Amino acid sequence: MAPQIFGIESLADISLDSGARLTLSDGPLQLGWKHSGMTSDFIAEIMALPYSRSRKDYLQAHHDIGYLSNELIENAVKFRQPGEILIEAGIIDGSFLLRVKNAIDSATSFRLQQLLHRLQSNEPGILLLEQIETNAISSTSGSGLGLLTLLSDYDARMAWTFEENEDQHIILTTTAAVAMPPSSNR
Amino acid sequence: MEISDENFRVWAEKNEVFFDGVFRLAGPDAYAPIYSLISGLLHEGHKQVTFNLTGLEFLNSSGINLLAKLTIEARKMGDLLLVVKGTNQHPWQAKSLPNLKKLHPLLDLRLA
Repeated sequence: MAPQIFGIESLADISLDSGARLTLSDGPLQLGWKHSGMTSDFIAEIMALPYSRSRKDYLQAHHDIGYLSNELIENAVKFRQPGEILIEAGIIDGSFLLRVKNAIDSATSFRLQQLLHRLQSNEPGILLLEQIETNAISSTSGSGLGLLTLLSDYDARMAWTFEENEDQHIILTTTAAVAMPPSSNR
Repeated sequence: MEISDENFRVWAEKNEVFFDGVFRLAGPDAYAPIYSLISGLLHEGHKQVTFNLTGLEFLNSSGINLLAKLTIEARKMGDLLLVVKGTNQHPWQAKSLPNLKKLHPLLDLRLA
């Protein structure tokens, strides 16, 4: 079956071959959770370095990279089916790009696609507030709040690709980009 | 009372709650003890409760959900003034704290 792409399709095609590539091995959720924090901190440390000439720019770049990486990797750890999580990161044309690839089950795929359909005709800021109000009355997990904060509060551009594999799992590839401060010492 | 681990600390002094460090817990269940601590304070009968976030360097989206839930809890109590003290030193605060004001327009948001 042909891959299904949601969001900004051109982002899904951008090559990150010149960036960094990391693989998180399979393991218990608790350890994976710790690794998601460590990995996002590590990505923020190395990718924010070009902005270290200005403290303000560095803090902004470090935080935005750290938040985006943490949300995408947390989602991958929380919802993955057994297997590796592939992470690619790089700075291209003034934006930080992160791509995370992992297997998910069909129920997770369905829930995420429902959210993505709602995003096609609604402002992410409005959906974010709606989701927060919903969460306040029922503690749902997998609410998509991380994605909505990225789109609403960080002006992230995002693409999601769903592909079926031979094990009846779905391979989800999420690509996200956030603008970096204009000045850098690259 | 205080709740902490190697990355964060949250504690209350009279009617002010202090948040310190990096909050990266796994979801609503993991944040439940913190929610209970602060929700309890909201219901103690104070006229004003302050969330002091100036030491809160980072929190994940589940942490944002925690702050939003507590804001909605305070909104339901008509006679309680909720003050949220933040800082522009931690970039997430200027991006995400204004959402609390959208949830509860009477909230006093102080970003310095």
